[in-house]
Amino acid sequence: MTAMVKAEGVHKSFGQVEVLKGIDLEVATGEVFCLIGPSGSGKSTFLRCINHLEKINAGRLYVDGDLVGYRQKGDKLYELKDAEVALKRRDIGMVFQRFNLFPHKTALENVMEAPVQVRGVSKAAARERAGQLLERVGLSDKAGNYPSQLSGGQQQRVAIARALAMDPKLMLFDEPTSALDPELVGEVLDVMRQLAEEGMTMIVVTHEMGFAREVGDSLVFMDGGVVVEAGDPREVLTSPRHERTQSFLSKVL
Amino acid sequence: MSADITKKDPEATPPGPAPTRAAPIKAVPVRHYGRYVSALIALAALGSVVYAFSQGDINWGFIPDYFFNDRILSGVRETLILTVLSMVIGVVGGVLLAVMRLSKNPVVSSIAWFYIWFFRGTPVLVQLFVWFNLGFVFEYMNLGPFYKDEWSDFMTPFLTALLGLGLNEAAYMAEICRAGLLSVDEGQTEAAHALGMSQGKTLRRIVLPQAMRVIVPPTGNEVINMLKTTSLVAAVQYYELFKHAQDIGMTSGATVEALFLAATWYLILTSILSVGQYYIERYYARGSLRQLPQTPWQKVRAHLTSLSSRSEVTR
Repeated sequence: MTAMVKAEGVHKSFGQVEVLKGIDLEVATGEVFCLIGPSGSGKSTFLRCINHLEKINAGRLYVDGDLVGYRQKGDKLYELKDAEVALKRRDIGMVFQRFNLFPHKTALENVMEAPVQVRGVSKAAARERAGQLLERVGLSDKAGNYPSQLSGGQQQRVAIARALAMDPKLMLFDEPTSALDPELVGEVLDVMRQLAEEGMTMIVVTHEMGFAREVGDSLVFMDGGVVVEAGDPREVLTSPRHERTQSFLSKVL
Repeated sequence: MSADITKKDPEATPPGPAPTRAAPIKAVPVRHYGRYVSALIALAALGSVVYAFSQGDINWGFIPDYFFNDRILSGVRETLILTVLSMVIGVVGGVLLAVMRLSKNPVVSSIAWFYIWFFRGTPVLVQLFVWFNLGFVFEYMNLGPFYKDEWSDFMTPFLTALLGLGLNEAAYMAEICRAGLLSVDEGQTEAAHALGMSQGKTLRRIVLPQAMRVIVPPTGNEVINMLKTTSLVAAVQYYELFKHAQDIGMTSGATVEALFLAATWYLILTSILSVGQYYIERYYARGSLRQLPQTPWQKVRAHLTSLSSRSEVTR
Protein backbone atom coordinates (compact mmCIF):
# COMPACT_ATOMS: atom_id res chain seq x y z
CA MET A 1 0.00 0.00 0.00
CA THR A 2 1.14 3.53 -0.68
CA ALA A 3 1.23 6.26 1.93
CA MET A 4 -1.61 8.80 1.80
CA VAL A 5 0.00 10.98 4.44
CA LYS A 6 3.65 11.00 5.39
CA ALA A 7 5.17 13.16 8.10
CA GLU A 8 8.91 13.58 8.57
CA GLY A 9 10.08 15.47 11.64
CA VAL A 10 7.12 17.89 11.65
CA HIS A 11 7.57 20.82 14.05
CA LYS A 12 5.03 23.50 14.87
CA SER A 13 5.27 26.41 17.29
CA PHE A 14 2.79 29.06 18.32
CA GLY A 15 5.05 31.91 19.35
CA GLN A 16 7.34 30.55 22.06
CA VAL A 17 5.30 27.39 22.63
CA GLU A 18 6.41 24.37 20.66
CA VAL A 19 3.32 22.23 20.09
CA LEU A 20 4.73 19.61 17.74
CA LYS A 21 8.29 18.47 18.45
CA GLY A 22 9.09 16.27 15.51
CA ILE A 23 6.32 13.98 14.34
CA ASP A 24 7.15 11.04 12.10
CA LEU A 25 4.35 8.84 10.88
CA GLU A 26 2.76 7.28 7.83
CA VAL A 27 -0.89 6.77 7.00
CA ALA A 28 -1.56 4.13 4.36
CA THR A 29 -4.23 4.58 1.71
CA GLY A 30 -7.56 3.12 2.79
CA GLU A 31 -6.72 2.84 6.45
CA VAL A 32 -8.44 4.30 9.50
CA PHE A 33 -5.76 6.03 11.50
CA CYS A 34 -6.61 7.04 15.06
CA LEU A 35 -4.79 9.74 17.02
CA ILE A 36 -5.31 9.70 20.77
CA GLY A 37 -3.74 11.58 23.63
CA PRO A 38 -4.42 14.10 26.37
CA SER A 39 -5.59 17.60 25.46
CA GLY A 40 -2.72 19.84 24.49
CA SER A 41 -0.72 16.94 23.16
CA GLY A 42 -0.75 18.46 19.66
CA LYS A 43 -2.97 15.91 17.92
CA SER A 44 -5.51 18.47 16.66
CA THR A 45 -2.72 20.80 15.57
CA PHE A 46 -1.10 18.00 13.60
CA LEU A 47 -4.43 17.26 11.90
CA ARG A 48 -4.81 20.93 10.93
CA CYS A 49 -1.30 20.94 9.47
CA ILE A 50 -2.31 18.20 7.03
CA ASN A 51 -4.64 20.54 5.10
CA HIS A 52 -2.46 23.55 5.78
CA LEU A 53 -4.83 25.34 8.14
CA GLU A 54 -1.64 25.63 10.20
CA LYS A 55 1.80 26.21 8.67
CA ILE A 56 4.51 23.88 9.90
CA ASN A 57 7.84 25.35 11.02
CA ALA A 58 10.13 22.46 10.21
CA GLY A 59 10.08 19.01 8.68
CA ARG A 60 8.18 17.73 5.68
CA LEU A 61 4.56 16.76 5.31
CA TYR A 62 3.27 14.91 2.25
CA VAL A 63 -0.29 14.15 1.18
CA ASP A 64 -0.61 11.63 -1.63
CA GLY A 65 3.04 12.20 -2.49
CA ASP A 66 2.74 16.01 -2.73
CA LEU A 67 4.37 18.40 -0.29
CA VAL A 68 1.79 20.27 1.82
CA GLY A 69 1.90 24.06 1.41
CA TYR A 70 5.12 24.19 -0.62
CA ARG A 71 6.60 23.27 -3.95
CA GLN A 72 10.11 21.98 -4.19
CA LYS A 73 12.33 22.97 -7.10
CA GLY A 74 15.83 21.66 -6.72
CA ASP A 75 16.94 22.54 -3.20
CA LYS A 76 14.58 25.49 -2.87
CA LEU A 77 11.12 25.50 -1.35
CA TYR A 78 8.49 27.84 -2.75
CA GLU A 79 5.42 28.71 -0.73
CA LEU A 80 2.19 27.86 -2.53
CA LYS A 81 -0.24 30.64 -3.42
CA ASP A 82 -3.60 30.75 -1.65
CA ALA A 83 -5.32 29.49 -4.79
CA GLU A 84 -2.95 26.52 -5.05
CA VAL A 85 -3.48 25.65 -1.39
CA ALA A 86 -7.24 25.84 -1.95
CA LEU A 87 -6.88 23.48 -4.93
CA LYS A 88 -5.21 20.86 -2.73
CA ARG A 89 -7.76 21.26 0.03
CA ARG A 90 -10.56 20.22 -2.32
CA ASP A 91 -9.41 16.62 -2.02
CA ILE A 92 -9.18 16.61 1.78
CA GLY A 93 -12.42 16.59 3.73
CA MET A 94 -12.45 17.90 7.26
CA VAL A 95 -14.94 17.47 10.09
CA PHE A 96 -14.64 19.77 13.08
CA GLN A 97 -15.36 19.31 16.76
CA ARG A 98 -17.77 22.28 16.69
CA PHE A 99 -19.39 21.21 13.37
CA ASN A 100 -18.92 24.68 11.80
CA LEU A 101 -21.92 24.27 9.54
CA PHE A 102 -22.93 27.44 7.71
CA PRO A 103 -25.81 28.67 9.89
CA HIS A 104 -27.43 30.80 7.17
CA LYS A 105 -27.86 27.82 4.85
CA THR A 106 -30.11 24.78 5.13
CA ALA A 107 -28.64 21.29 5.53
CA LEU A 108 -29.02 20.71 1.78
CA GLU A 109 -27.45 24.07 0.88
CA ASN A 110 -24.56 23.35 3.24
CA VAL A 111 -23.79 20.17 1.33
CA MET A 112 -24.29 21.82 -2.10
CA GLU A 113 -22.17 24.90 -1.40
CA ALA A 114 -18.66 23.62 -2.11
CA PRO A 115 -19.42 21.49 -5.20
CA VAL A 116 -21.24 24.43 -6.83
CA GLN A 117 -18.83 27.18 -5.77
CA VAL A 118 -15.54 25.30 -5.94
CA ARG A 119 -15.96 22.52 -8.48
CA GLY A 120 -18.45 24.39 -10.65
CA VAL A 121 -20.99 21.58 -10.59
CA SER A 122 -24.44 22.60 -11.84
CA LYS A 123 -26.97 23.38 -9.14
CA ALA A 124 -29.34 20.63 -10.20
CA ALA A 125 -26.61 17.98 -10.15
CA ALA A 126 -25.28 19.24 -6.82
CA ARG A 127 -28.75 19.17 -5.31
CA GLU A 128 -29.32 15.59 -6.39
CA ARG A 129 -25.93 14.50 -5.06
CA ALA A 130 -26.50 16.38 -1.80
CA GLY A 131 -29.82 14.62 -1.40
CA GLN A 132 -28.11 11.25 -1.82
CA LEU A 133 -25.42 12.15 0.70
CA LEU A 134 -27.97 13.30 3.26
CA GLU A 135 -29.81 10.02 2.76
CA ARG A 136 -26.56 8.17 3.32
CA VAL A 137 -26.12 9.85 6.73
CA GLY A 138 -29.79 9.22 7.49
CA LEU A 139 -31.02 12.81 7.26
CA SER A 140 -33.03 13.05 4.06
CA ASP A 141 -36.01 14.34 6.06
CA LYS A 142 -33.91 17.22 7.45
CA ALA A 143 -32.69 18.62 4.11
CA GLY A 144 -34.66 21.86 4.46
CA ASN A 145 -33.73 22.51 8.10
CA TYR A 146 -31.25 25.14 9.22
CA PRO A 147 -28.39 23.93 11.46
CA SER A 148 -29.92 25.64 14.50
CA GLN A 149 -32.96 23.38 14.10
CA LEU A 150 -30.85 20.21 14.25
CA SER A 151 -29.40 18.31 17.18
CA GLY A 152 -25.64 18.13 17.62
CA GLY A 153 -25.47 14.63 16.22
CA GLN A 154 -27.54 15.60 13.19
CA GLN A 155 -25.36 18.68 12.59
CA GLN A 156 -22.22 16.58 12.69
CA ARG A 157 -23.70 14.11 10.21
CA VAL A 158 -24.55 17.00 7.86
CA ALA A 159 -20.95 18.18 8.30
CA ILE A 160 -19.71 14.74 7.23
CA ALA A 161 -22.02 14.81 4.20
CA ARG A 162 -20.73 18.30 3.36
CA ALA A 163 -17.12 17.06 3.40
CA LEU A 164 -18.01 13.97 1.34
CA ALA A 165 -19.68 16.13 -1.33
CA MET A 166 -16.22 17.10 -2.59
CA ASP A 167 -15.30 13.42 -3.15
CA PRO A 168 -12.23 13.63 -0.95
CA LYS A 169 -9.48 11.03 -1.02
CA LEU A 170 -8.75 11.69 2.62
CA MET A 171 -11.01 12.60 5.54
CA LEU A 172 -9.79 14.37 8.67
CA PHE A 173 -11.91 14.11 11.81
CA ASP A 174 -11.05 16.52 14.62
CA GLU A 175 -12.70 15.10 17.75
CA PRO A 176 -16.00 14.70 15.88
CA THR A 177 -17.95 13.48 18.90
CA SER A 178 -16.42 15.55 21.71
CA ALA A 179 -19.08 18.29 21.58
CA LEU A 180 -21.97 15.83 21.55
CA ASP A 181 -24.32 14.58 24.24
CA PRO A 182 -23.36 10.99 25.11
CA GLU A 183 -26.51 9.54 23.59
CA LEU A 184 -25.84 11.25 20.23
CA VAL A 185 -22.28 9.94 19.86
CA GLY A 186 -23.43 6.59 18.47
CA GLU A 187 -25.17 7.97 15.38
CA VAL A 188 -22.05 9.87 14.28
CA LEU A 189 -19.75 6.92 14.92
CA ASP A 190 -22.11 4.71 12.89
CA VAL A 191 -21.72 7.00 9.87
CA MET A 192 -17.94 6.99 10.30
CA ARG A 193 -17.88 3.22 10.64
CA GLN A 194 -19.84 2.89 7.40
CA LEU A 195 -17.40 5.24 5.70
CA ALA A 196 -14.46 3.15 6.92
CA GLU A 197 -16.05 0.01 5.54
CA GLU A 198 -16.28 1.68 2.13
CA GLY A 199 -12.50 2.09 2.19
CA MET A 200 -12.12 5.82 2.86
CA THR A 201 -8.75 6.89 4.21
CA MET A 202 -9.51 8.51 7.54
CA ILE A 203 -7.43 10.22 10.19
CA VAL A 204 -9.45 10.46 13.37
CA VAL A 205 -8.51 12.46 16.45
CA THR A 206 -10.73 10.93 19.10
CA HIS A 207 -11.40 10.06 22.68
CA GLU A 208 -13.66 7.16 21.67
CA MET A 209 -11.45 4.21 22.51
CA GLY A 210 -14.21 1.78 21.59
CA PHE A 211 -14.33 3.18 18.06
CA ALA A 212 -10.54 3.13 17.76
CA ARG A 213 -10.39 -0.49 18.81
CA GLU A 214 -13.23 -1.62 16.59
CA VAL A 215 -12.67 0.37 13.41
CA GLY A 216 -9.08 1.60 13.62
CA ASP A 217 -6.32 0.02 11.55
CA SER A 218 -3.52 1.88 13.31
CA LEU A 219 -3.32 4.02 16.38
CA VAL A 220 -0.90 6.62 17.63
CA PHE A 221 -0.69 7.90 21.18
CA MET A 222 0.66 11.44 21.34
CA ASP A 223 1.78 13.41 24.36
CA GLY A 224 3.68 16.68 24.69
CA GLY A 225 4.07 17.08 20.95
CA VAL A 226 5.68 13.74 20.24
CA VAL A 227 4.49 10.28 19.25
CA VAL A 228 4.82 8.14 22.36
CA GLU A 229 3.49 4.86 21.08
CA ALA A 230 2.16 3.56 17.78
CA GLY A 231 0.81 0.29 16.56
CA ASP A 232 -2.27 -1.85 16.16
CA PRO A 233 -5.13 -0.31 18.15
CA ARG A 234 -6.16 -3.56 19.81
CA GLU A 235 -2.58 -4.15 20.99
CA VAL A 236 -1.86 -0.61 22.15
CA LEU A 237 -5.18 -0.24 23.93
CA THR A 238 -5.09 -3.59 25.73
CA SER A 239 -1.40 -3.89 26.52
CA PRO A 240 0.36 -0.52 26.23
CA ARG A 241 4.09 -0.79 26.53
CA HIS A 242 4.87 2.78 27.45
CA GLU A 243 4.25 4.02 31.00
CA ARG A 244 2.71 7.30 29.84
CA THR A 245 0.26 5.42 27.62
CA GLN A 246 -0.65 3.15 30.49
CA SER A 247 -1.45 6.00 32.86
CA PHE A 248 -3.49 7.84 30.16
CA LEU A 249 -5.49 4.75 29.24
CA SER A 250 -6.15 3.86 32.88
CA LYS A 251 -7.85 7.23 33.24
CA VAL A 252 -9.99 7.18 30.09
CA LEU A 253 -10.94 3.53 29.77
CA MET B 1 -21.99 -2.97 20.80
CA SER B 2 -24.41 -1.45 23.22
CA ALA B 3 -27.12 -3.66 24.63
CA ASP B 4 -30.52 -3.43 23.02
CA ILE B 5 -32.55 -1.27 25.36
CA THR B 6 -36.22 -2.18 25.30
CA LYS B 7 -38.23 0.95 24.83
CA LYS B 8 -40.90 1.64 27.42
CA ASP B 9 -44.48 1.77 26.34
CA PRO B 10 -45.28 5.49 26.16
CA GLU B 11 -48.81 4.78 27.37
CA ALA B 12 -47.56 3.28 30.61
CA THR B 13 -47.93 5.63 33.60
CA PRO B 14 -44.71 6.52 35.38
CA PRO B 15 -44.30 5.14 38.88
CA GLY B 16 -44.81 7.41 41.92
CA PRO B 17 -47.76 9.42 43.18
CA ALA B 18 -50.15 10.90 40.65
CA PRO B 19 -49.53 14.65 40.10
CA THR B 20 -52.00 16.92 41.89
CA ARG B 21 -53.19 20.20 40.43
CA ALA B 22 -51.67 23.02 42.53
CA ALA B 23 -54.13 25.70 43.72
CA PRO B 24 -53.31 29.12 42.17
CA ILE B 25 -51.95 31.70 44.62
CA LYS B 26 -54.32 34.49 45.62
CA ALA B 27 -52.51 37.42 47.17
CA VAL B 28 -52.94 41.19 47.45
CA PRO B 29 -50.48 42.76 44.96
CA VAL B 30 -48.04 45.46 46.10
CA ARG B 31 -49.39 48.97 45.37
CA HIS B 32 -46.90 51.25 43.66
CA TYR B 33 -48.07 54.70 44.79
CA GLY B 34 -44.88 56.32 43.48
CA ARG B 35 -45.86 55.28 39.96
CA TYR B 36 -49.21 57.06 40.19
CA VAL B 37 -47.50 60.26 41.33
CA SER B 38 -44.83 60.19 38.61
CA ALA B 39 -47.48 59.47 35.94
CA LEU B 40 -49.50 62.48 37.12
CA ILE B 41 -46.46 64.78 37.04
CA ALA B 42 -45.53 63.61 33.55
CA LEU B 43 -49.09 64.11 32.27
CA ALA B 44 -49.23 67.60 33.77
CA ALA B 45 -45.94 68.57 32.11
CA LEU B 46 -47.12 67.22 28.74
CA GLY B 47 -50.46 69.01 29.10
CA SER B 48 -48.82 72.35 29.80
CA VAL B 49 -46.62 72.04 26.68
CA VAL B 50 -49.66 71.22 24.51
CA TYR B 51 -51.57 74.11 26.09
CA ALA B 52 -48.71 76.53 25.44
CA PHE B 53 -48.65 75.64 21.74
CA SER B 54 -52.43 75.89 21.46
CA GLN B 55 -52.21 79.42 22.82
CA GLY B 56 -49.43 80.45 20.42
CA ASP B 57 -50.21 82.44 17.30
CA ILE B 58 -49.86 79.47 14.92
CA ASN B 59 -51.76 79.15 11.69
CA TRP B 60 -52.39 75.37 11.87
CA GLY B 61 -54.29 75.47 8.60
CA PHE B 62 -51.01 76.16 6.79
CA ILE B 63 -49.81 72.59 7.23
CA PRO B 64 -52.65 70.76 5.42
CA ASP B 65 -52.79 73.55 2.81
CA TYR B 66 -49.15 73.17 1.85
CA PHE B 67 -48.80 69.45 2.62
CA PHE B 68 -48.91 68.39 -1.03
CA ASN B 69 -47.49 71.63 -2.41
CA ASP B 70 -45.43 70.99 -5.56
CA ARG B 71 -42.26 72.44 -4.12
CA ILE B 72 -42.62 70.45 -0.90
CA LEU B 73 -43.19 67.25 -2.87
CA SER B 74 -40.16 67.89 -5.08
CA GLY B 75 -38.22 68.58 -1.87
CA VAL B 76 -39.31 65.21 -0.49
CA ARG B 77 -38.19 63.57 -3.71
CA GLU B 78 -34.78 65.28 -3.60
CA THR B 79 -34.33 64.32 0.05
CA LEU B 80 -35.09 60.68 -0.72
CA ILE B 81 -32.80 60.61 -3.77
CA LEU B 82 -29.99 62.18 -1.77
CA THR B 83 -30.52 59.74 1.11
CA VAL B 84 -30.47 56.69 -1.15
CA LEU B 85 -27.46 57.75 -3.23
CA SER B 86 -25.43 58.87 -0.22
CA MET B 87 -26.15 55.57 1.53
CA VAL B 88 -25.12 53.63 -1.58
CA ILE B 89 -21.80 55.47 -1.59
CA GLY B 90 -21.59 54.97 2.17
CA VAL B 91 -22.31 51.22 2.13
CA VAL B 92 -20.11 50.38 -0.86
CA GLY B 93 -17.30 52.55 0.48
CA GLY B 94 -17.83 51.17 3.97
CA VAL B 95 -17.53 47.51 2.94
CA LEU B 96 -14.45 48.36 0.90
CA LEU B 97 -12.84 50.27 3.77
CA ALA B 98 -13.70 47.52 6.27
CA VAL B 99 -12.08 44.86 4.09
CA MET B 100 -9.07 47.16 3.57
CA ARG B 101 -8.85 47.75 7.31
CA LEU B 102 -8.81 43.99 8.00
CA SER B 103 -6.34 43.35 5.18
CA LYS B 104 -2.96 41.84 5.97
CA ASN B 105 -1.32 44.47 3.77
CA PRO B 106 -0.11 47.16 6.23
CA VAL B 107 -0.16 49.96 3.62
CA VAL B 108 -3.76 49.27 2.62
CA SER B 109 -4.97 48.93 6.20
CA SER B 110 -3.25 52.16 7.30
CA ILE B 111 -4.80 54.09 4.42
CA ALA B 112 -8.23 52.84 5.48
CA TRP B 113 -7.44 53.74 9.08
CA PHE B 114 -6.42 57.27 8.03
CA TYR B 115 -9.57 57.78 5.94
CA ILE B 116 -11.81 56.72 8.81
CA TRP B 117 -9.83 58.86 11.27
CA PHE B 118 -10.17 61.93 9.06
CA PHE B 119 -13.83 61.67 8.09
CA ARG B 120 -15.06 60.64 11.51
CA GLY B 121 -13.00 63.30 13.19
CA THR B 122 -14.38 66.31 11.30
CA PRO B 123 -17.99 67.60 11.33
CA VAL B 124 -20.10 66.86 8.24
CA LEU B 125 -21.11 70.49 7.95
CA VAL B 126 -17.46 71.54 7.73
CA GLN B 127 -16.82 68.81 5.13
CA LEU B 128 -19.79 70.05 3.09
CA PHE B 129 -18.45 73.61 3.10
CA VAL B 130 -15.01 72.38 2.12
CA TRP B 131 -16.43 70.53 -0.91
CA PHE B 132 -18.55 73.57 -1.76
CA ASN B 133 -15.64 75.99 -1.61
CA LEU B 134 -12.96 73.89 -3.30
CA GLY B 135 -13.53 76.10 -6.32
CA PHE B 136 -11.32 78.70 -4.64
CA VAL B 137 -8.30 76.40 -4.89
CA PHE B 138 -9.05 74.44 -8.06
CA GLU B 139 -9.89 76.29 -11.23
CA TYR B 140 -10.53 73.25 -13.37
CA MET B 141 -11.64 69.67 -12.89
CA ASN B 142 -9.18 67.87 -15.13
CA LEU B 143 -9.36 64.12 -15.64
CA GLY B 144 -6.88 64.09 -18.52
CA PRO B 145 -8.46 63.15 -21.84
CA PHE B 146 -11.78 62.00 -20.36
CA TYR B 147 -13.19 65.13 -18.79
CA LYS B 148 -12.30 68.75 -18.31
CA ASP B 149 -14.53 71.51 -17.06
CA GLU B 150 -14.51 74.55 -14.87
CA TRP B 151 -14.70 73.61 -11.20
CA SER B 152 -17.90 75.56 -10.55
CA ASP B 153 -19.64 73.73 -13.40
CA PHE B 154 -18.36 70.38 -12.20
CA MET B 155 -19.04 70.78 -8.50
CA THR B 156 -22.78 71.45 -8.53
CA PRO B 157 -24.67 71.70 -5.22
CA PHE B 158 -25.95 68.17 -5.86
CA LEU B 159 -22.46 66.71 -6.25
CA THR B 160 -21.28 68.70 -3.23
CA ALA B 161 -24.10 67.27 -1.16
CA LEU B 162 -23.62 63.74 -2.45
CA LEU B 163 -19.85 63.64 -1.92
CA GLY B 164 -20.04 65.38 1.42
CA LEU B 165 -22.66 63.03 2.84
CA GLY B 166 -21.56 59.82 1.08
CA LEU B 167 -17.85 59.98 1.84
CA ASN B 168 -18.53 60.88 5.45
CA GLU B 169 -21.01 58.01 5.75
CA ALA B 170 -18.47 55.54 4.33
CA ALA B 171 -16.27 56.12 7.37
CA TYR B 172 -19.09 55.24 9.77
CA MET B 173 -20.26 52.29 7.69
CA ALA B 174 -16.69 50.97 7.62
CA GLU B 175 -16.67 50.64 11.39
CA ILE B 176 -20.10 48.97 11.37
CA CYS B 177 -19.01 46.51 8.68
CA ARG B 178 -15.74 45.78 10.43
CA ALA B 179 -17.60 44.92 13.64
CA GLY B 180 -19.90 42.67 11.61
CA LEU B 181 -17.06 40.84 9.86
CA LEU B 182 -15.25 40.31 13.16
CA SER B 183 -18.42 38.94 14.76
CA VAL B 184 -18.44 35.86 12.50
CA ASP B 185 -16.85 32.83 14.15
CA GLU B 186 -13.41 31.91 12.82
CA GLY B 187 -14.57 28.32 12.45
CA GLN B 188 -16.73 29.45 9.53
CA THR B 189 -13.70 30.70 7.60
CA GLU B 190 -11.82 27.52 8.46
CA ALA B 191 -14.66 25.30 7.33
CA ALA B 192 -14.92 27.19 4.03
CA HIS B 193 -11.16 27.02 3.49
CA ALA B 194 -11.11 23.33 4.33
CA LEU B 195 -13.65 22.81 1.53
CA GLY B 196 -11.27 24.53 -0.87
CA MET B 197 -13.10 27.84 -1.14
CA SER B 198 -10.95 30.84 -2.04
CA GLN B 199 -10.49 33.86 0.19
CA GLY B 200 -12.90 35.97 -1.87
CA LYS B 201 -15.59 33.30 -2.13
CA THR B 202 -15.36 32.67 1.61
CA LEU B 203 -15.89 36.36 2.28
CA ARG B 204 -18.75 36.74 -0.20
CA ARG B 205 -20.61 33.47 0.34
CA ILE B 206 -19.97 32.62 3.98
CA VAL B 207 -18.71 35.51 6.09
CA LEU B 208 -20.58 38.54 4.69
CA PRO B 209 -24.09 36.99 4.79
CA GLN B 210 -23.55 36.13 8.45
CA ALA B 211 -22.04 39.52 9.20
CA MET B 212 -25.20 41.09 7.78
CA ARG B 213 -27.11 40.12 10.90
CA VAL B 214 -24.80 42.38 12.89
CA ILE B 215 -24.46 45.01 10.14
CA VAL B 216 -28.13 45.55 9.24
CA PRO B 217 -29.63 46.97 12.47
CA PRO B 218 -27.08 49.81 12.88
CA THR B 219 -27.23 50.42 9.12
CA GLY B 220 -30.98 50.98 9.43
CA ASN B 221 -30.21 53.57 12.05
CA GLU B 222 -27.66 55.13 9.70
CA VAL B 223 -30.28 55.39 6.92
CA ILE B 224 -32.71 57.14 9.26
CA ASN B 225 -29.90 59.37 10.46
CA MET B 226 -28.88 60.11 6.89
CA LEU B 227 -32.43 61.10 5.98
CA LYS B 228 -32.31 63.72 8.69
CA THR B 229 -28.72 64.76 8.02
CA THR B 230 -29.61 65.63 4.41
CA SER B 231 -31.22 68.77 5.85
CA LEU B 232 -27.67 70.07 6.40
CA VAL B 233 -27.10 70.42 2.67
CA ALA B 234 -29.51 73.36 2.67
CA ALA B 235 -26.38 75.20 3.80
CA VAL B 236 -24.67 74.54 0.46
CA GLN B 237 -27.66 75.77 -1.54
CA TYR B 238 -29.07 72.39 -2.42
CA TYR B 239 -32.87 72.46 -2.56
CA GLU B 240 -34.30 69.52 -0.66
CA LEU B 241 -37.23 69.28 1.75
CA PHE B 242 -35.85 71.57 4.45
CA LYS B 243 -34.60 74.26 2.08
CA HIS B 244 -37.91 74.34 0.18
CA ALA B 245 -39.92 74.52 3.43
CA GLN B 246 -37.68 77.31 4.68
CA ASP B 247 -38.16 79.27 1.44
CA ILE B 248 -41.92 78.83 1.46
CA GLY B 249 -42.02 79.87 5.09
CA MET B 250 -40.01 83.02 4.40
CA THR B 251 -42.09 84.16 1.44
CA SER B 252 -45.48 83.36 2.98
CA GLY B 253 -44.59 84.67 6.42
CA ALA B 254 -45.41 81.33 8.06
CA THR B 255 -41.86 80.50 9.14
CA VAL B 256 -42.65 78.22 12.08
CA GLU B 257 -45.58 76.56 10.33
CA ALA B 258 -43.33 75.64 7.40
CA LEU B 259 -40.82 74.11 9.82
CA PHE B 260 -43.61 72.07 11.41
CA LEU B 261 -44.60 70.91 7.96
CA ALA B 262 -41.04 69.79 7.19
CA ALA B 263 -40.84 68.03 10.57
CA THR B 264 -44.09 66.18 9.82
CA TRP B 265 -42.73 64.96 6.50
CA TYR B 266 -39.45 63.83 8.12
CA LEU B 267 -41.45 61.94 10.76
CA ILE B 268 -43.53 60.16 8.11
CA LEU B 269 -40.45 59.19 6.10
CA THR B 270 -38.48 57.92 9.09
CA SER B 271 -41.50 55.91 10.28
CA ILE B 272 -41.77 54.18 6.90
CA LEU B 273 -38.04 53.41 7.00
CA SER B 274 -38.38 51.88 10.48
CA VAL B 275 -40.99 49.45 9.19
CA GLY B 276 -38.76 48.48 6.28
CA GLN B 277 -35.86 47.95 8.66
CA TYR B 278 -37.94 45.50 10.71
CA TYR B 279 -38.56 43.28 7.71
CA ILE B 280 -34.94 43.35 6.52
CA GLU B 281 -33.71 42.38 9.99
CA ARG B 282 -36.20 39.53 10.00
CA TYR B 283 -34.83 38.28 6.67
CA TYR B 284 -31.23 38.18 7.87
CA ALA B 285 -32.22 36.51 11.16
CA ARG B 286 -33.04 33.29 9.31
CA GLY B 287 -30.88 30.43 10.45
CA SER B 288 -29.86 32.18 13.65
CA LEU B 289 -33.26 31.90 15.29
CA ARG B 290 -35.20 28.68 15.54
CA GLN B 291 -38.42 30.52 14.85
CA LEU B 292 -38.60 33.84 13.05
CA PRO B 293 -40.48 36.55 14.96
CA GLN B 294 -43.99 37.14 13.63
CA THR B 295 -44.63 40.09 11.37
CA PRO B 296 -47.13 42.60 12.81
CA TRP B 297 -49.66 41.38 10.24
CA GLN B 298 -49.22 37.76 11.35
CA LYS B 299 -49.66 38.87 14.96
CA VAL B 300 -52.93 40.64 14.13
CA ARG B 301 -54.21 37.56 12.32
CA ALA B 302 -53.21 35.29 15.23
CA HIS B 303 -55.09 37.55 17.64
CA LEU B 304 -58.18 37.61 15.46
CA THR B 305 -58.33 33.82 15.12
CA SER B 306 -57.76 33.32 18.84
CA LEU B 307 -60.50 35.85 19.59
CA SER B 308 -63.01 34.10 17.37
CA SER B 309 -62.17 30.69 18.81
CA ARG B 310 -62.48 32.10 22.33
CA SER B 311 -65.93 33.53 21.64
CA GLU B 312 -66.96 30.12 20.33
CA VAL B 313 -65.90 28.54 23.62
CA THR B 314 -67.90 31.02 25.70
CA ARG B 315 -70.93 30.41 23.57
